[in-house]
Amino acid sequence: MSVFLSSLGFGIISAAVLAIATVGFTMQFAVTNVLNLAYGSVMINSAFVTYFLNIHGHLNAWVALIGGVATGSVASYLLNRFVYTPFQRRNLAPITIVIVALGVDLCGTFGLQAIVGGSYFTYRQSQGREWHFLGMYFSTLQLTIIAIALGVMIAVAWLLRYTRLGKAMRATSANPNLARNSGVRTQSVISTTWLISGALAGLAGTVFAMNTGVFEATSAQLYIVLLLAAMFLGGPGEPYGAMLGAATIGIATELSAAFINPQYKMVIAFVILLGMLTFRPYGLFGSERTA
Amino acid sequence: MGFTDRARRDGPVARGKRRLALVASVLALTTSVVALPAMGGSAGATSFKGSITIATVAPFTGADAALGPKYQAACLGATQAINASGGILGQKVNCKVVDTRGDPADAVPAVRQMYATTSNLALVIGCTSDEAATVVPIFGAHKTVSFCMTGQSEFDAVHFPYFFRLVPPDASDSVAMTQIAKRHGYKKIALAFGNDAGSQTFVQPALAAIKRAGMTVVSNQTLDMSATTFQTEAQAIVSAHPDAIMMEALGAAGVALLSEIYQLNGNKMIPTIGTSAMIDPVFFSGVTSGPIGVQNFISNFDADNPTVAVGGPAYPLYKKLILAQQGKVPGVPSFQGLLSANGTVHLYDGINLAALAMVMSGSTQGSKYKADILKIAAGGPGAITVSSYAQGLKALKAGKKIHYIGVGGSYKFDAFQTAFGPFEDDQYTANGTTVMVGSSLGYCNLTLCQAKP
Repeated sequence: MSVFLSSLGFGIISAAVLAIATVGFTMQFAVTNVLNLAYGSVMINSAFVTYFLNIHGHLNAWVALIGGVATGSVASYLLNRFVYTPFQRRNLAPITIVIVALGVDLCGTFGLQAIVGGSYFTYRQSQGREWHFLGMYFSTLQLTIIAIALGVMIAVAWLLRYTRLGKAMRATSANPNLARNSGVRTQSVISTTWLISGALAGLAGTVFAMNTGVFEATSAQLYIVLLLAAMFLGGPGEPYGAMLGAATIGIATELSAAFINPQYKMVIAFVILLGMLTFRPYGLFGSERTA
Repeated sequence: MGFTDRARRDGPVARGKRRLALVASVLALTTSVVALPAMGGSAGATSFKGSITIATVAPFTGADAALGPKYQAACLGATQAINASGGILGQKVNCKVVDTRGDPADAVPAVRQMYATTSNLALVIGCTSDEAATVVPIFGAHKTVSFCMTGQSEFDAVHFPYFFRLVPPDASDSVAMTQIAKRHGYKKIALAFGNDAGSQTFVQPALAAIKRAGMTVVSNQTLDMSATTFQTEAQAIVSAHPDAIMMEALGAAGVALLSEIYQLNGNKMIPTIGTSAMIDPVFFSGVTSGPIGVQNFISNFDADNPTVAVGGPAYPLYKKLILAQQGKVPGVPSFQGLLSANGTVHLYDGINLAALAMVMSGSTQGSKYKADILKIAAGGPGAITVSSYAQGLKALKAGKKIHYIGVGGSYKFDAFQTAFGPFEDDQYTANGTTVMVGSSLGYCNLTLCQAKP
């Protein structure tokens, strides 16, 4: 039981980081119609900007995080403006955009590695005291990350439900032509979505690096696998589904590490994904009519 | 409520997205597996026409990326001295980086590319346990002499004519770690080794040695080197209440694991014994900049390491040459830390041995000079002891026999062209260098390694 509870605790913190990333990822996909496989690259590049500000700029890591968030936001906006949009304007097949995204991901990751080298890095930051709670262990840092994740979830829900921008995002996601004809400035909405989802990528990258304690240029290379699994589990384009998907994947991978073998973490994530695609391809929050 | 509320009524839009996402997810998975190898080809210093090339075939990226720079530093240091003495047979010597990413699947194409683009290859160094099994036969087929940093057991029993190693088999490395544990009085041991070939090769010998020493393995964790956190594994180790941990996990994994164990153990570090590969400035820098801190770490971490003759005649020049490479090799935070690094020391000696053998044989072809490596290492009656390339060159020009004693001491090769000496118990100092705290560990050939430690 103690192993289960401690693993559950580790799963919760993994899920918190994953949830921030997945919500941004699925928001980006739903509104812009671009499956941005370079999302992990944006995350880790943002984490390194935070590192630079933390170590070389002598800023507190939480203050430096603002730089990481801004980097993710601006980088994503520029990525759309100068890479994805020109390709989309040429009416190329959607799969072409995916290939472009893959190229961007490789450029972003290995370009970063060329700059920072194959070494690994740590923020100058205390993990804080250890908290024991119902057999689970959390550091103060991890509790802070969980709180941030909850805050992000609430903010995204509020954005979508109660703001004009959220409604415009949903309309653009559902049918961009109809939204445009109804007076929604879809290009502006899409640009704003890149800024917001990019900020979430920057935030996710930084808290991911904070949580792992040590990171390198390729640390997020396989993270896209977990992102896709979480997104499909909840249903592509479903923000609440993304939250639930992230929680499920995060906890399942840690429990599998405790009770099966740590080497099967990624395998478990994809077994869940394959199972979902087989039996409920529209995800937990999707509808059968749209499958 | 979600982004696709209305999309449910506009089925084709959503279906299109899902189809795209499905294809993309498969593509992403494929890429995550395939892309890294594709990017991991060889690259490095330009070779000059008419010169000789020494290739450092090792991981420069990936989980074991800390290894390659240590070896490249050895190559640059040794060749600086060789070139200062006029090169080998009048030819300048270059060092070339060949990145294997620590993966056999990446190593083979990287090595093939190396042969396709390097016409004047005289020697290969590096070849860690990550890739040695796949690349050593290729070196042999091309009659290229290699000095490899692998302790894998298959090289203990199979003769590869062009393969040399100046490092001990993993079996004896594991015995040395066990001896350190025994000297400290530890009874309960946890094992934590990466799932890469280079680390897994220690596990079975360690299990056997621990059993023979009368100690108990209370936890045996295999670490997925592609993972970023190891909290579950760390908790399993902490819950087993070991007296000590034996480990090898290079790259960020080792740092993350130790940090997480430290936190889950109430901010107390469990004494840890690493392999010689963990005498590594990058690892030291990573661990000590985290929550463990310098003092905690240096008080609780030991590593076995083949003895380095710090007081020997070869050491001052070696030290000068290695420190002169500062800034020339990315990924090495402290060149001081390289002075006792296993790979740097022994590959420096390996290059000197090979270079002198080339001079002695009058050829840079492996098939012609490899036999002279054994002669120079063995010395024999009337041989003059030399501790540098310049000294050896001078003696050879004078028509004398030579016996090379390097930074790692004297090398006596066995039938499988393996030469190694005793181990020492090293601890880090606060500035990342190491200090010997115990000696004469695991001085064993393969027979003695079977004995009780």
